[in-house]
Amino acid sequence: MRLLKPLLPALISIILIVLDARFSTLDNLKRNSTTLLSPIYFFIDLPGQMINWVSDKGSDTEQLIRENEQLTSELFELKAKLQIYNNLVLENQKISKLIDASYTMPANTVKLARVKSIAQSRLKRQLVINKGSNDNILALQIVLGANGVVGQIIQSTPFYATVQLTTDPTQHIPVKNVRNGARAITKGIAANKSGMKVEFMPSDADVKLGDIFVTSGIGQSYPEGYPVGEVIEVSAPHDEAFLLIKLRPLEDMNELEFVLVVSESL
Amino acid sequence: MNRQRPQILLFKLTLISALLSAVALPEMIQNAAPFWMLIFFTYWLIYAEAKAVYTLALMLGLLLDLLHGNVFGQNALALIASTVFILNVKKSFYVSNLSTQQVYVFVASLIYLLTTIGVHWIIQGFDFSYLTLLAPLTGAILWPIVHFLLAKLKR
Repeated sequence: MRLLKPLLPALISIILIVLDARFSTLDNLKRNSTTLLSPIYFFIDLPGQMINWVSDKGSDTEQLIRENEQLTSELFELKAKLQIYNNLVLENQKISKLIDASYTMPANTVKLARVKSIAQSRLKRQLVINKGSNDNILALQIVLGANGVVGQIIQSTPFYATVQLTTDPTQHIPVKNVRNGARAITKGIAANKSGMKVEFMPSDADVKLGDIFVTSGIGQSYPEGYPVGEVIEVSAPHDEAFLLIKLRPLEDMNELEFVLVVSESL
Repeated sequence: MNRQRPQILLFKLTLISALLSAVALPEMIQNAAPFWMLIFFTYWLIYAEAKAVYTLALMLGLLLDLLHGNVFGQNALALIASTVFILNVKKSFYVSNLSTQQVYVFVASLIYLLTTIGVHWIIQGFDFSYLTLLAPLTGAILWPIVHFLLAKLKR
């Protein structure tokens, strides 16, 4: 009789696991419940916000002037680079018109968000950002850092959103090698914090150490052209049809403070 | 001594463990950290007049799944499995010294770990940080401190 009591709750848990893992029937329930739990993240975030506030108030004028000068010079540099980019876009549009191509540069808009916390779960790689559906942050939008792709929004509540990192084992990204355009798919490695592996690259493919992989845009889950990782290991096992390739993410996930959420019309 | 009602104690313990579980720690510490909810729930099971424990284990586990973004039901199943063990040794646990209690906490945490990893394995393969295997050990090591602090909170 004693062992019968936990049977019903255990059975409910198993049913919920199956429903959540295999179907999407619980998505709405999870989203609504997570919204109700938002205050917990607000409380957790309070000490960090206070530290930021005290730090901002405590900055002396000289430091602010120095930071301002540095940011102004960076802004000029970026504006100069943007001119080249704008020229390339115009050139691309002209060529597209000439050859009557259907491809056009996607019009991306980005939103800046602050990282609230990283990896609360030991079996998943994810982070929480301080913007959510109130700021038009929606599931499946891509998240970028200064150096490359950080991950994808998997859950959005009114006040915060959860980002699944590229290094999570359930995250698969269609990529291509910048050097030769060879296509493949990356997958995170949970056992190795600095890792992703590239899957389905034939054993005779041309891949070298230091090659950069960017999103290929295939499948439309990720827009094209954003840097994902750099090759740090390549080997061709004798009995395998595919190369064993390890990538180092270009973005250091542990040092992220701000991220950009890309919302675009694919 | 004025003892508070079990429900109020459980509410306080749940709130503290939910906050502790959701705080961002460096990755290494995060992986090796104890299962806070399990440890606090164990304390409540032993030292409070607990009722409807399996239903509560289910609800707390689901709360944890939501906070962590895990598969819905994963932590709930693990908490229920560990609760079965704790209730079986409840009398012995209550009268044991701290070091024996640490062994019980270790076994309960091990059951919790094996259940979560089992579910994880079935759903997305056997791929996780091996530091996670330290969680039962850190839980057992920290038990005396947690026990001391929770005893203060219980008064």
